[in-house]
Amino acid sequence: MLPDKWKGTAFPLVFVLLTAVLAAVPFFVDLFYQTFLTEVLVWALFAISFDLIFGYVGLLSFGQALFFGLGGYAVAIPILKLGLGTGSGLLLSVAVPAAFAAFVGFFSVRLTGIHFVIITIIFALIGSTVGETWTTLTGGADGLVFMAPPLDLGVAKLDLMDIRTTYYLVLAIVALSYLFLRRMVRSPLGKVFVAIRENEERARLIGYNVRRYKLLAFVIAGGLSGLAGGLYTLSLKYASATFLHWSVSGHAVVYTIVGGAGTLVGPMLGAGLIMSLEHYLVKLLQATDLVVGAVLVSTLLLAPMGIVGFLLGRRK
Amino acid sequence: MASNLAVAVLNGIVWGLIMALIALGLNLIFGLLHIINMAHGALYMLGAVFSWYVIELTGNYWLALIVAPLGVGLVGLALERGLLRTIEDQPLVTIICTFGIMLVLQQLVLTYFGGTARRIALPIPGRFRLFDLQYPVMRIVIAAISAAVMGGLWIFLNRTRYGLWMRAVVQDREMAVALGIPVDQVYMWTFILGSVLAAFSGVLAAPIVSVDFMMGREILIMAFIIVIVGGMGNLWGSVVTAVMISLIHGVGSIFVVPSTATVFSLGFMILVLLVRPQGLFGE
Repeated sequence: MLPDKWKGTAFPLVFVLLTAVLAAVPFFVDLFYQTFLTEVLVWALFAISFDLIFGYVGLLSFGQALFFGLGGYAVAIPILKLGLGTGSGLLLSVAVPAAFAAFVGFFSVRLTGIHFVIITIIFALIGSTVGETWTTLTGGADGLVFMAPPLDLGVAKLDLMDIRTTYYLVLAIVALSYLFLRRMVRSPLGKVFVAIRENEERARLIGYNVRRYKLLAFVIAGGLSGLAGGLYTLSLKYASATFLHWSVSGHAVVYTIVGGAGTLVGPMLGAGLIMSLEHYLVKLLQATDLVVGAVLVSTLLLAPMGIVGFLLGRRK
Repeated sequence: MASNLAVAVLNGIVWGLIMALIALGLNLIFGLLHIINMAHGALYMLGAVFSWYVIELTGNYWLALIVAPLGVGLVGLALERGLLRTIEDQPLVTIICTFGIMLVLQQLVLTYFGGTARRIALPIPGRFRLFDLQYPVMRIVIAAISAAVMGGLWIFLNRTRYGLWMRAVVQDREMAVALGIPVDQVYMWTFILGSVLAAFSGVLAAPIVSVDFMMGREILIMAFIIVIVGGMGNLWGSVVTAVMISLIHGVGSIFVVPSTATVFSLGFMILVLLVRPQGLFGE
């Protein structure tokens, strides 16, 4: 173990080092892997946003795809139909899904256990049914293809049709979101979340308004899931109703479980690991879901706390 | 218009009875093992796929009706003994685990069976005529078979020792253990029975819809809706709800677009979940 006086500096050091490595990667790999890495970062963000409500509050939502898909549309539709810029699209990709999450959460957090799981799936299903039917707005299952206008940062204009620039934008936003979530789960608010996860009844008796805290976590997670969807759409220049389907939420569930629920590093690690596995096995097996499912099931049986949980458990 | 309506009602009843079989399996597994089986739709799909293979080999649909559910029963046995037994008491873990099983089963079928939808020829091709109404005989036979299977299930649960054991375990697990009921075995047989029921409905649905690896995905959600609206653990509630929802959906689709009918039924379910989480027919 590290001596106590190093503990404060260890995290910033590792974080800066890791971000620097990720920032340097585009200079060494070709465009294909830059795109791949962009996708990994996006899904890692989706996974940690899901983990905030599952790993920290104990709510298994299978409906996060709704917010992910909405985030995508919140970028694509304003650019295509209203002629708005990328910056406002990104802001909307947080605000619109967060507003929907407030609505969905208002009803969902009253329920517990499996009823909660089911109601989140239902809301996502309503979303994907509407998305597939309302073709004039959403393009249906064919989706919307668009050109991303440059992002004006004041000091510089980012050309988002360029793969490397997009990668840096995604890296910066994902890193900031990670820091935001890390700060949150370590704050008193995060402790309340964990208290609710561990024993909801006791948290209520202490005097916390459990339902309000659950709703708050649900809205934050929805907003960040939307941001992930917005970044995904921005990197693909494509939004689709298929992103809204409840089964898309499964990605976040798998990455989180495999990496380790209740940690932030775990789900990101899980996303990187599973996506690399899929990428390298697809030529070999052409059966990626088989591998994903098998990894998921064996993690649950062999290391229920995920990879990170397993490693931490070992060290104690 | 009148004959359209009559056909819609008949379709609603036929689908309702098939859906009731699927929902019964899901409900049985939930009622006893407290497992929300996300792989249930995949088992339904597997039943249809197995039956396609049997028909391809022997050309006999009726043989498929027996062989395919048995095959899926074996899959259920392997899943329960191999995976689920160790995590049965953790509801959220079993949801995620069965989701993983769903992915694996779908991918296996996609790899070996292919992604294209296959059709199964109607084993009884004729049409039934009454005044100006025409209706395929096979659909009526399908409805009759699922009704018969449900009758058999009722006799099994109420008139046999194993059935009584199952109901005893649902009512009071501790007491059942104390009385010497082999709870572990009851769990195993319940999961097998649930899988067989899913497969049965898959074989019955196969001649009406086409067989493909995704067919279990939407059905799973419909089955959840039925189980929740009907009341978890309440088998009669599932049967009544399945027929009711299919009728409403079938007749409603004459008047509005099918997707609107879907959104309405989903909205209805949210309402039920919020107002009566125990289901319309639950105590």
